[in-house]
Amino acid sequence: MANHTTTQAEFDNKPMWSGGRSPFDVSYGKLMMWIFLLSDAFTFSCLLVQYGAQRFSNVITPITSNWPNPAAIFNHFPFLHGLHLPLLFVSVMTFILILSSVTMVLAVEAGQRNSKKEVEKYMIYTILGGFAFLGCQAWEWVTFIHEGARLYGNTFGITEQGYAHLNSLTFGDHFEWENGDRTVGPVPFAALFFIVTGFHGFHVFSGVVINVIIYIMTVRGVFERRGHYEMIEKTGLYWHFVDLVWVFVFTFFYLI
Amino acid sequence: MEFYNKPGDFDAINYVPHTESHGTKELWKTFFILFGITIFDFIIYFVMPANGFRNFIFIFFGLVKAYYIVGAFMHLKHEKINLALIILVPTLFIMGLILGLLYEGSMLEVMKSL
Repeated sequence: MANHTTTQAEFDNKPMWSGGRSPFDVSYGKLMMWIFLLSDAFTFSCLLVQYGAQRFSNVITPITSNWPNPAAIFNHFPFLHGLHLPLLFVSVMTFILILSSVTMVLAVEAGQRNSKKEVEKYMIYTILGGFAFLGCQAWEWVTFIHEGARLYGNTFGITEQGYAHLNSLTFGDHFEWENGDRTVGPVPFAALFFIVTGFHGFHVFSGVVINVIIYIMTVRGVFERRGHYEMIEKTGLYWHFVDLVWVFVFTFFYLI
Repeated sequence: MEFYNKPGDFDAINYVPHTESHGTKELWKTFFILFGITIFDFIIYFVMPANGFRNFIFIFFGLVKAYYIVGAFMHLKHEKINLALIILVPTLFIMGLILGLLYEGSMLEVMKSL
């Protein structure tokens, strides 16, 4: 059979599942990346299931839940100390991650046109976006721990006085906790926050490491010699998955 | 269809189909949709009182964002339908599990108050 070359038509007409062709018309590496992402989605789902069950088991009424109110805790912004700015910093983080996702997909698109210079440029932007996000998350953790968050307890349960205090605030007001605003709340709150955002942050970190490796390989011309930039697509899939997970972390931990 | 490897010497490990660039127009459109939804979430958070309907809006727009990230950024729209299905169908079961366990979680609350 060594001398027989299959024509394009013969190849296309091969039965889908009888071997000798790729049933999904994707490469081995890309298919395995999709399978890995699916299993990783299950991992994150397990964490979110646990979070959701804990959250729903701590609802008295939708308004006066003894589950800590994220608007009262994640209301800080760097360099604007003491102001009540709920959701603003997390929205900036979301924006950074979406932006780095866009530069990643632009790198993938440049790779499909075999444009080495553009791939390098957009990979640099993506790596910078990843570092910016990690820095934001580190700042967020430090602030949260400084406020008294620990893995083994929760002092963010909000009393009726605390709710009255919070409801009197508008966006941008001066804010400090007063005596009697806070009480002991459901224990798993901070632990779940640290575990889920930590696990996501670890994914971002490993994504940045992978992106740096791929960037160095691009600069050294590995993909140019190989003739295609499919590796950019595979790392891109991972990077977009990290963005996808953040959409749900943002929704469940900060918005709801 | 174009191949980097010739079809005659099909090699399951090194086979890489050529992927066509679909241009950057769709990508920028997706970016502005994601950006717009984030802004919209931010506004809704302050305009609406906290209730179940607001949470429904947040989850709904989270799923819309997920659709655009997976479809446009991860190119799943341009893959074969079989591949898209083996990725997406199991996640539907996960969503069912989440809904079920949320209900179980609210039962835990009832048990605690007994």
